Amino acid sequence: MANEVRERNWEPKIVAFVCNWCTYVGADAAGTSRMQYAPNVRIIRFPCTGRIDPLFIIRAFQHGVDGVIVSGCHPGDCHYVSGNLLARRRWIVFRKLMDFLGLDLRRLHFAWVSATEGAKWAHLVNEIVEEVRQAGPAPTWAMPTNGATQIEASLPEIGLPPSPPPELTSQIREIAKQLLGTGEVGVVGYEKATGAREGAATPTFVNKPEDADRLIFNEHCIHNLAVYLTNPLVKKFGKVGIVAKGCDIRSIVGLIQENQIKREDVSIIGVVCNGVVVNGRLADKCVACPVKVPHIYDHLVGDPSSVQTTASEHPLDAQIAYLESLSPEERWNFWMPQFARCIRCYACRAVCPLCYCQPCIAEKHRPQWIPTSPHPQGNLAWNIIRAWHLAGRCVGCGECTRVCPVGIRLDLLNRKLAIEVERAFNYRPGFDPSAPTPLSTHRPDDKEDFIR
Amino acid sequence: MLRKRLTRENLNKWIDGLVASGLRVIAPVRERDGGRGARDGKGGLTLFRPITSSAEIATDYTKTDLPFKEWLFPPTEVILHYRIVDGEPVLEDPEVDATKTVALFLRPCDAAAIPILDSVFGGDYEDEFYMTRRRNLTVVGLSCTEPQPECFCAAVGLSPTSEAGSDILLTPVGDEFLVEVLTEKGEQLVNQYADLFADAGDLTKEQVTEQAIAKMLRKESLPTFAETYSELFEHPVWEEIARKCLGCGVCAYSCPTCHCYDIVDEATLFEGVRCRNWDCCGFALFTLHASGHNPRPTQAHRYRQRVLHKFAYFLQTYGRNMCVGCGRCVIKCPVGMDIYEVVQKVAQASERVGV
Repeated sequence: MANEVRERNWEPKIVAFVCNWCTYVGADAAGTSRMQYAPNVRIIRFPCTGRIDPLFIIRAFQHGVDGVIVSGCHPGDCHYVSGNLLARRRWIVFRKLMDFLGLDLRRLHFAWVSATEGAKWAHLVNEIVEEVRQAGPAPTWAMPTNGATQIEASLPEIGLPPSPPPELTSQIREIAKQLLGTGEVGVVGYEKATGAREGAATPTFVNKPEDADRLIFNEHCIHNLAVYLTNPLVKKFGKVGIVAKGCDIRSIVGLIQENQIKREDVSIIGVVCNGVVVNGRLADKCVACPVKVPHIYDHLVGDPSSVQTTASEHPLDAQIAYLESLSPEERWNFWMPQFARCIRCYACRAVCPLCYCQPCIAEKHRPQWIPTSPHPQGNLAWNIIRAWHLAGRCVGCGECTRVCPVGIRLDLLNRKLAIEVERAFNYRPGFDPSAPTPLSTHRPDDKEDFIR
Repeated sequence: MLRKRLTRENLNKWIDGLVASGLRVIAPVRERDGGRGARDGKGGLTLFRPITSSAEIATDYTKTDLPFKEWLFPPTEVILHYRIVDGEPVLEDPEVDATKTVALFLRPCDAAAIPILDSVFGGDYEDEFYMTRRRNLTVVGLSCTEPQPECFCAAVGLSPTSEAGSDILLTPVGDEFLVEVLTEKGEQLVNQYADLFADAGDLTKEQVTEQAIAKMLRKESLPTFAETYSELFEHPVWEEIARKCLGCGVCAYSCPTCHCYDIVDEATLFEGVRCRNWDCCGFALFTLHASGHNPRPTQAHRYRQRVLHKFAYFLQTYGRNMCVGCGRCVIKCPVGMDIYEVVQKVAQASERVGV
């Protein structure tokens, strides 16, 4: 009964994030001109759309709003030159992320409203309130009661990669000895795991030439060692040599691009790689790998002509297409149970070379943007923001998915964002150390078809 | 102690009877993730979840991905509600979960972790939240016949068929189960369904125990550091070991005995809750002071805490070490840190310094 009453009396609750110079003044103009429009919108004023972090949008939905409007100056009119153009790039990708998670896009709107467009603002608000009304009350950030959506498209069966030739190991050792002979370089590489994990490889650190014979390379060298380049206990080595597959080198490129390390401080021992083994199969990332032959290195190990041809389709794309074929509600019911399992061990963050922030947004508590409790709200906020912060930066090394103790499909989120970034900005991360990252830059002619 | 035998068919009848009687029955269940699976590659993971029928129980696993701990000490729990009414704060206690619960098929390692948690949460200060759930819990253990390579329960004073922590222990012997009824709580569960159980007769678990231990790769008793840790405290071995630790919380969160927690307030201007959440000594934030000072500034300091808490401090306080050898931290560590090997390495280092 109480619910029925609530539903009958339900009115869309909408938050508008607007810029100070254009839309706020436009909304004011609507008011001073005595234009009537729906009273469902609460306006929050920002200096610029460039300041409107998607985190605010997540936060608004988390606190129970039914819809969000983000609006600012038209392209070319930004009072800070390009804040709105940077914002536009973010919106293009963020909107795709929220859609993929199952947010009904009738709830999320972007607009350009100038200071003189009071009438446009009034009209826009009326339209959006109607759309949100049709979408109904926003889904709760709790476990769905009607069961979890399962992906009915299974991942293709993948065999094993060929074992790398044993001379890779001896070549790596030789190079490491040379590097260590100079006396100031430590080398991050792989060694054989012992005991219970016999047959596996494990990260290791060598700082004496005589220890270089511990180093190995084989198809079990799954770890992305680039994560150690920003590790304080490894930085103590000074200049570091690193054994890196092509995928790992893409992460190193990311760290250079983002000024976390200097190119001259790292000596890359690039390894020609036909793929690594995760869970007894070729890793998904290896199937359509574009960097089996390393693209940037100081020393190259292995024979580029030994590389086997690469499939063109990423194995995750079939599952992504399946999820996209579902309704937003079904997608939401896929992701909520995934995230509900999260125990916030942050292993996904710890293994990610590009998650180097100190402190991480999840550790900031004034204000507490991301609830630290592993309840559905906190987990959803954390998992969205993790994916979002890696948009246009994630090289798809797959480590986060490999280490998640509760099997959350982070690989699908990362892959989806990589597809969208490439589609929108023709950019693939990890190739050009001098290129700006796609979400830290803009083009005046960036294409979109959803901003009103 | 009662000793009974139970056929597989009657086991399922018993479980369905327990469910039908209104008890919450929690057992290992496979949950699909649609991916390559959390490590085992079977496209899913095994977790302790409430069941509505014996048919839902997973069978093809050695141990669950997460330990049973989450049902006694949940990852997050509201311990206090507060509201502002007419400008005054009003405190409200949350309801404490007192559901009568049967936990089925805990491996002996997981069951043995419960008395360890009991000594912490039921010690000098009784934790109401934990102890209420604990008092309403009956544990039915299931002996382990297929130890994984990472397992080392025999190295920490347990065995694949040990009784510690179980109210009832089932051991598969041939086609049926030996039922050891170890406590009064256990007796109640068995007595209500007495016709399903037969006398154990000459059924014993000795052979099962021997066979399981024979399959275990690591059973050499692990050293402890209760006497020696002060000399070892500044040893360079800690940094050598911890250099590859990435500082995530997988080891602590998949550990059946780790019990550190954080208290956070989640509030608006008018109301809020105080939550108790799992925390982990591997996180830099764990010991970070408000001043910005961190008494455990590097991963070496944090990892040392993890090892010494388990193999020195806990032993000093409670008389046993805080590891049951389940091997989950070894399986799940992103970079292959192996606590069994680490403890041996620290012991070797202590020999070198002549401790």
